[in-house]
Amino acid sequence: MEKEKLESLLIDYLDNILSKEAKEKVDGMLADNEEARQLLQELKVIIGALDNSQPLQPSASMQRRFEESLANEVVLERKSKQIFMIPTMYRVAATVGLILVSVGIAYWINKNRQQADELSQLKTEMEATKKMLMAMLDNKQSASQRVQGATIAYTIGKADDEIVNALAKALNEDKNTNVRLAALEALAKFYQEENVRQLLIKSLSIQNDEVVQIALIQVLVQMKEKGIVKELEKITRDTEVLKAVKDEAFTGILKLS
Amino acid sequence: MKTKLLTVIGFLVATFVNGQDYKIAKSAGRLEVYIGNVEIEGYAGNEILFATKDHDRDEDDRARGLRSINSSGLEDNTGLGINVTTKGDVIEVRQLKKMNSPEIRIKVPKGVTVYYEHQSQYGGEVKFRNVEGEIEVSTHYNSLEFENITGPVTAKAIYGSIDATFTDNVKGPISLISVYGHVDVTIPVSTKANLKLNTSYGEIFVAPDFKIEMEKQGELVSYGDKISGKINGGGMTIDLGANYSKIYLRKK
Repeated sequence: MEKEKLESLLIDYLDNILSKEAKEKVDGMLADNEEARQLLQELKVIIGALDNSQPLQPSASMQRRFEESLANEVVLERKSKQIFMIPTMYRVAATVGLILVSVGIAYWINKNRQQADELSQLKTEMEATKKMLMAMLDNKQSASQRVQGATIAYTIGKADDEIVNALAKALNEDKNTNVRLAALEALAKFYQEENVRQLLIKSLSIQNDEVVQIALIQVLVQMKEKGIVKELEKITRDTEVLKAVKDEAFTGILKLS
Repeated sequence: MKTKLLTVIGFLVATFVNGQDYKIAKSAGRLEVYIGNVEIEGYAGNEILFATKDHDRDEDDRARGLRSINSSGLEDNTGLGINVTTKGDVIEVRQLKKMNSPEIRIKVPKGVTVYYEHQSQYGGEVKFRNVEGEIEVSTHYNSLEFENITGPVTAKAIYGSIDATFTDNVKGPISLISVYGHVDVTIPVSTKANLKLNTSYGEIFVAPDFKIEMEKQGELVSYGDKISGKINGGGMTIDLGANYSKIYLRKK
């Protein structure tokens, strides 16, 4: 019998797990086989040593760690039950978030559109105002409407060429003095614009309304427009001109020089 | 009662019309007056009525059967020393003589715009009373008096002064300018307006009841006295100017 086989047989014998027949066979073998008896003795020693050896005690820390990890596992397991909840919460949160974001975007878009609407509305209003004031300035039947038109022009922030030209026309050609004065008032507000400045200077040489001449000289003097001195001198020599206009021209020359 | 009232009114109108020399059926449109002495009164009717104030302008026996003619080519078609012509929607009233203007009273229905222009120095004070339509005036020598009018009104005078009182129901814009004369205006204290008061060498007086919110002036430095501001929060335009004289703004 090979040694390995005999060994495993003897181990089983010692563990007392052999069948009755195998046991008897091993007994018989042990009786007449010195080598087998010796092997058995050796095996007994080894197994005894194995049995008597200290069962491997895990260190306290290791045990604690193990328990902790176990407890963690338990907790994790418990948590894993909540994990089932978390997606719902996430879903709710996500939904709420989505709603918030949508509302935000909608608000933003709406605001943007509102701003755009307001802007276009403002533009439309501006256009309407312009249209209205142009129509008013052109109302031949009513001087007060023309005055009103010029007054509206005075209140608008910026005048485009069309408005400026309409005002210049009113300043030089309207048959009503009050309209001309209102137009001058509106134009003078934009005196820093080069074309307006030129229009005002030009108006002085063609202006034929005394009251407007006086007001125009005053405006040009306020603008420190030294270029008009020659024109003012011409006015002072003009025998047809109203004394008040001449006086204003003299005053203007004094203030500008 | 109503019939009685109507009878009385009818009687009054009849009396007026009896002393009346000329009338035109018109309740809208524009009346343009180019005569030196005139009093224009608004009334609730639908005819423009012309009358003379010259009571001594009696019948000239010598002129009976003759026609008055003059160099202006205008015909006295009213018997009042004035010519009245209708041109479309406009009625023009002119005096025949260059210098002596007859004193004329005109009654205008509400809704008729009144335009008055007179350049000559041969004129007197021009009065507008109870006129509810728009008034537009351009004169050199006449003084102007507006009594109990609503506006809107634009008026310019060179040498004459302007006096104006407005009804409770003021309508803008109001623009009253005189070079040498004063401008004296009375408006209801509650009038909402954007005020501009402007004088170069004169002074400005305003009733303390008007709280003027001064508008910030532009960069232009004004040498004269110029006030821009709002009363009662702003509203209609009121421009008053008197270059060499005073401006008065009173409360009604």
